[in-house]
Amino acid sequence: MQTQSSPPVGHDALAAVAAVDLVKVYGAGDTAVRALDGVTVGFERARFTAIMGPSGSGKSTLMHCLAGLDTATSGQVLLGGADLTKQSDKVLTKVRRERIGFVFQSFNLLPQLTALRNITLPLDLAGRRPDAELLDRLVTTLGLAGRLGHLPSELSGGQQQRVALARALVSRPEVLFADEPTGNLDSRSGAEVLGLLRDSARNLGQTIVMVTHDPGAAAYADRVVLLADGRLAGEIYQPDITSVTDALQKLAAGR
Amino acid sequence: MNPILRTQLAGVARRPARMLLTGLAVLVASFVVYATVLAQQITQRSIVDGLSGTPEAVDLVIRQGSIDDRHLAAINAIPGVSRTSAQTEIGAQLGGQYLNISGDPGSGPLALVSVTEGRYPSAAGEIAVTPRTVQLLGLKVGSTASVDPGTGKKVALRVVGVVKPPVDFGNDAYAPASTVLALTVDHFVQGIYVDVDAGTDAGPVRDRIEALFAGAKDEDRPEVVTGADVRLAEARDAASQIDQVFAVVGMFVGIAVAAAGLIAASTFRIVFAQRMRQLALLRAIGAGRSATFRALATEGALTGLATGAVGVAVGQGAGFAVPALLRGIGWNVLNPGIPVLWAVGTILLAVVISVVAVLAPAVSAARVAPLEALRTAAGTGARTGIGVPRWIAGLLPLAAALALAGYVYTNLPGLDERDYDPQMMLLAVVASGALAFAALIALGPVLVRPVLAVTGWPLRRLGPVGRLAVGGVGGSARRAAAVSVVVALGVTLVAGVLVGGASIRALGDRELAAAAPTDFEMTGGDGSTLPEEIVTRAKASGELTRVTPYRRLTSAKIAQFEGTAVTDLDVRALPRLRDLDVRSGSVDELKPGTAVVAGYLAEMAGLRLGDTVRVENQGRTVSLQVVAVLGDDAPLHAGLLVVPADLTAMGAGGGWSGMLADAARDGASARTEALRAMRAAAGGKTEFSVVVLADQRDALDAELATLLGIALGLIGLTVLIAVVGVGATTALSVVERVRESGLLRAIGMSRAGLRTMLTLESALYGVIGAVLGLLLGVPYAWLALRATGANAPLAVPVWQLAGAFLILVVLTALAGVLPARRAARVSPVNALGTD
Repeated sequence: MQTQSSPPVGHDALAAVAAVDLVKVYGAGDTAVRALDGVTVGFERARFTAIMGPSGSGKSTLMHCLAGLDTATSGQVLLGGADLTKQSDKVLTKVRRERIGFVFQSFNLLPQLTALRNITLPLDLAGRRPDAELLDRLVTTLGLAGRLGHLPSELSGGQQQRVALARALVSRPEVLFADEPTGNLDSRSGAEVLGLLRDSARNLGQTIVMVTHDPGAAAYADRVVLLADGRLAGEIYQPDITSVTDALQKLAAGR
Repeated sequence: MNPILRTQLAGVARRPARMLLTGLAVLVASFVVYATVLAQQITQRSIVDGLSGTPEAVDLVIRQGSIDDRHLAAINAIPGVSRTSAQTEIGAQLGGQYLNISGDPGSGPLALVSVTEGRYPSAAGEIAVTPRTVQLLGLKVGSTASVDPGTGKKVALRVVGVVKPPVDFGNDAYAPASTVLALTVDHFVQGIYVDVDAGTDAGPVRDRIEALFAGAKDEDRPEVVTGADVRLAEARDAASQIDQVFAVVGMFVGIAVAAAGLIAASTFRIVFAQRMRQLALLRAIGAGRSATFRALATEGALTGLATGAVGVAVGQGAGFAVPALLRGIGWNVLNPGIPVLWAVGTILLAVVISVVAVLAPAVSAARVAPLEALRTAAGTGARTGIGVPRWIAGLLPLAAALALAGYVYTNLPGLDERDYDPQMMLLAVVASGALAFAALIALGPVLVRPVLAVTGWPLRRLGPVGRLAVGGVGGSARRAAAVSVVVALGVTLVAGVLVGGASIRALGDRELAAAAPTDFEMTGGDGSTLPEEIVTRAKASGELTRVTPYRRLTSAKIAQFEGTAVTDLDVRALPRLRDLDVRSGSVDELKPGTAVVAGYLAEMAGLRLGDTVRVENQGRTVSLQVVAVLGDDAPLHAGLLVVPADLTAMGAGGGWSGMLADAARDGASARTEALRAMRAAAGGKTEFSVVVLADQRDALDAELATLLGIALGLIGLTVLIAVVGVGATTALSVVERVRESGLLRAIGMSRAGLRTMLTLESALYGVIGAVLGLLLGVPYAWLALRATGANAPLAVPVWQLAGAFLILVVLTALAGVLPARRAARVSPVNALGTD
């Protein structure tokens, strides 16, 4: 099952989601900031990819655009071959609901809903019933059995993030986006969550795109995409902490 | 300045609108208070200025005591007297009806009436009538009224004009005083208006008038007062009535102000909770607890100052704008002044409410642990339970409320209980209600969930948006409780008024069923009978329906009571008689050999169900069994209802005593047509007079509608503040929940879905409040009604209550629409970025 090999796949062939010459400008005139300056990158199916870069490199903006949370100034975002940039809010809403999953730094669970209700929320919104078997497997894998009736305030940070992970996975999204998922966790819980992300890519064939600034977290990924000043600044296959740290230092030095 | 306060004020300066939003309820309350003060000024100025009954030209008024036409002639002869007007009024019998004839010059400065049609009477035997009299008594210009002015002789009076009177009761005629006096035997007048020549001192004239009466006995000597004094007294009287009205208004304004205080406390709590992190940070870097509290309390006071000032300013603006508008549509309304003391007082009141409201939230906010700054911000109101002190603060008043209500319940008056003092009992009901409310405020958070579990059920079935809305409200039970309690206050008052109104109406219907069973009644006066062709004509008329002739004996002796009326009116023929208050037995049992007895007669003669009643008339005796006892009066003011055969057995002749009929269709014009048809049936004979019984019903309806309208309007103030509170709470909670909104958008909730969810939440505040309000309002209305001892049936106007419920829920939903729209516009990314 494990796909340890590293074929450098092009962004167009097997990409689950891809950016083509993506530009995002905030503000106008003198104060305009080019957060993304012509980024072209693809994210392969069933792979765990990390986006890295120094602060202000545009990594969060890239993810927001890829996920249909934000609109690009120009260029294309291709999800399953279809362009998202020209779509209405209605279509984007549907895309987010049915084809994309999110895990946030601050968990973002609804405080008034139980863990189970939080997990099934995207399906509820879409008017679908959860796949009982998948739900069962996720709950077991994520170690949430026995916690489903709890409110978020009754769960530890790690547990809350695992609930958020289950919520993102239960609708079988084409792409799972994770924004600094371990930023608010202690190192043990963080390692747990990262391991779970890696396993879902390997065992469940889940496409995962994660934004992080932590080389240790990026080392769990199959591939690291590096951004600097809104442009693509390199990539690393089969990263480890050393290779990622070196690359980041080189980027910092090059500025 | 306190550095914490400086931080707070910097925040306020950055977002001044939010401060107004926090104090919106206080703003509305101070507007209402100040506007009420101005309204009172406007009313007082306008009324004192314009509405005294005595004409401006009257210099002297001679009144009370015994005055006759010779005095009038003598006064007219006094030098300096320009003109006089004798105030005289007599009652005359017109067929079976009453006509009020008043003396009035008809023109000139002393006249109270003015001609609108025809001319004013000048010769003897001429009268003018009011517009409603034309309609009700059929006295058109040119017709002749044959009246008996109490002398026993009939006099023919010709109607020559129609006049506009100060008040129109529908049986009023006017003529020069000489005409009116000519109709009387003794030529007495009730009073005389005197207008002295311009430039002449009224003093000597007054002395000479008083000299005229010098020889009269003390009790016969009239008083002579100046017109100015009379007008002033009338104006004062009007003004004191206004003061009384505004005292009642003030009570309702007071309730609204209290509601505003509750809302303000809730909004302060939300606002402080939103800043919990910032406050914790200040605490972490060394701000003291008491300094934090002082800063928050000061902010509350400043909020009160700002919102109070804005409210007063808006009120003053409205105070000038509204009279200008009213003058535009032809009303004579004066501007209010600028009552500075009241303005300052209102602003002070706003400050006081705000400070009282801010105390509890400030205490709990100042207690924030510095560590909170480092945690992820938790929402407000997330705690659903309440602590032991709050349980006690809720259960104690609840127990007291129940005890008081129980006391009232066990001491409710029985049927026709004598020496019953309703005042104490009503006070006890009000006190119990107030205590129940205090309990509701304390226990609210615990009640929200159960109420939500029931009322939220249909919403939860609606899908995830509904479920989330229910969850959102239930998840912040404290906040929901704080807002809903104020909505409940409004609904309790509304429900109480609606139930009370419906019950009074039911009571009125019951009494009117006997007094006014149909729209019209035609009688021929005592002893005369209606010719058969009148009944035939009436039955043939398409304008009339349920034409029911009846016979009536007035000479029967029942038990020891002579002259008791007995009628054979067919009770089953008239649907309104279904409302008759039947104390025991059943009217349907009426058959030969039985009788239905009026309540008053049953009481006086000691008759009960199943007893035998003996009726004697002209030497005949009939014994009948009582099959029903009515509440009070029987139809047609009869003592006994029997079947026709029994009435004949008592010696009644074959002719009809009178005839009842309804208009065939509803509406004013149909009734006018029907009245004309009744008159036509009489064939132009004025001795058969028609009484419009429907007028009594209309009068009751109109009076009730006015009372209900006023009461609901005043309660509307509290409802308005409740709705404002719901709006402000939703707006603030939307600000606080930007992150949650963003998350929902990010995981696929549509804009419309988010909008719907937040609007539903806002509506749910209304639903919870309305349910609590109805649960409190209806039982208390019932208890209060029974405590009055009025013996009114409990009428629950289900549709009106449902309507009020719906309107309130719609209003609270509308209050949430704007905040919901704002929340839905937020981009999911921004939402996630907000800390």
